[in-house]
Amino acid sequence: MDRREFLKKGGAALAGTSGALGLPLLTSCGVNTASEDSPLAGRKWGMVIDLNECQSDCTACLDACRHENNVAFHNDKRWDIHWIRKVNIRSKESEDHTEKSVLLLCNHCENPPCAQVCPVQATYKRADGIVVVDHHRCIGCRYCMIACPYNARFFNYKENEEWPNTDFPKRSHGVAESCNFCAHLLDQGKRPACVEACEAIGVRALHFGDLNDPESDVSEIVASAPVKRIRDDWGTEPKVYYLGL
Amino acid sequence: MKLSTALRNKKLGVVVTILIVVMLLPFGSSAARFVLARDAEVPDVFLEMPLDYFNRCVEDTDYMRFRHMDLLKRLREEFIRDGKRGNVSLTKCRDCHTSRERFCNRCHEEASVILDCFGCHYYPEPDSVSQQLGT
Repeated sequence: MDRREFLKKGGAALAGTSGALGLPLLTSCGVNTASEDSPLAGRKWGMVIDLNECQSDCTACLDACRHENNVAFHNDKRWDIHWIRKVNIRSKESEDHTEKSVLLLCNHCENPPCAQVCPVQATYKRADGIVVVDHHRCIGCRYCMIACPYNARFFNYKENEEWPNTDFPKRSHGVAESCNFCAHLLDQGKRPACVEACEAIGVRALHFGDLNDPESDVSEIVASAPVKRIRDDWGTEPKVYYLGL
Repeated sequence: MKLSTALRNKKLGVVVTILIVVMLLPFGSSAARFVLARDAEVPDVFLEMPLDYFNRCVEDTDYMRFRHMDLLKRLREEFIRDGKRGNVSLTKCRDCHTSRERFCNRCHEEASVILDCFGCHYYPEPDSVSQQLGT
C-alpha cells in the first residue's frame, strides 16, 4: 500500500466511523419527551385566558397558585418566583395608550426551547404536552431561563422557608422552576388551582381543557373566537391562548 | 547450577510471593467482609417499627430495608415523567413511620448516606413526633 492509497482508505474509514458515532448524537438533539406508552398520551392540555373578563386588581389566581405549589415569595424582586404573574402592557399602536393587565405564565410550547437546551433532560415535555421540570435531575445551570422567550422560568436563589401546602413538595435552593399546569392535580382528575380560584370568585377568565378534544371548552373558543398567542411568529407553538390581547 | 544462583532464585521467589499476597489483601478482606456481613445479625438500627404495626408495607421488609432506594427511584420516574401516580409515594411513608429521625436518619447516618429528600418533601419534624410517641 503506497502513501496515497493509505491516505484514501484511512480517510474513508475515519469518515465512516465519525458518521456512525455522530448520527445518533444528531438525532438525540430533539425535544426531550416522555415515553410513548404513558397513560397521558392522546391529551393536549391548553388554556384560554379571557383578558376582557380578567379584572386588573384581582389576584385570586396568583394567590391560589402560590399556595397550591408552595411558590417562593421573599418580597424582593431579585428572588421572587412567579409561576403566574400579571404585567401591565401598553399598546404602541392604539390611540388611547391605556394600560392592559395581562396574565403571564409558562406557555407550555409544542416546541419548548427550554427542553431543547436542558443538558440533563430535567426539563421535558410530557406526553400530554405539559412542559415539566424534574427537580431531582435539575443541576441549576439556568440554560432554560436563557432559552425561554417568555421569561417564564425562575430560579431558586434562596431556600424557601414557607410551606403552606404540605401535600406538595417545595423546591430547594439551586433549581429552576415554572408553571406545570398543576400536573399533580391533573393526574388526579382535578383542574389547575388558578382555574378553580378564578371560578370560585365567579369570574370566567381562565378556561382550561383538552385541545385534542373538539367538544372541550378551550377547543370551542380556539375554533370560534379570535384568539392570539404571544409571539406566534417564533414557532414555539404555545398552548396558552389569549382573548382580547 | 551454582549454589549462589539457586539461593538468589529462592529469595526472588519469596519476594514475589509476598508481593502477590500484599496485592491480593484488599480483595481478600472485602470478600471476607461480604461473607461475614451476610451471616451477621441485622443491626439494632433496624428495630424501629411503625406505629401501625400490623399493616404491611408496600413490599417485604427485607426488600424495603435494602432496596427501598430502587423502588423510590422507579416510582419517581413513573410519577413525574409518565404521570402514573399510584397510592405509593414518599409522603405516604410518614403515615406509618412517624419519626423521620428514627426511621430514616438513624440508618443513613450509620451508612453515611446523605439524604436530601426532605428539603422539598414534607415529613413531620422529629420534635413533634417524639412528643406524640411520649419519648
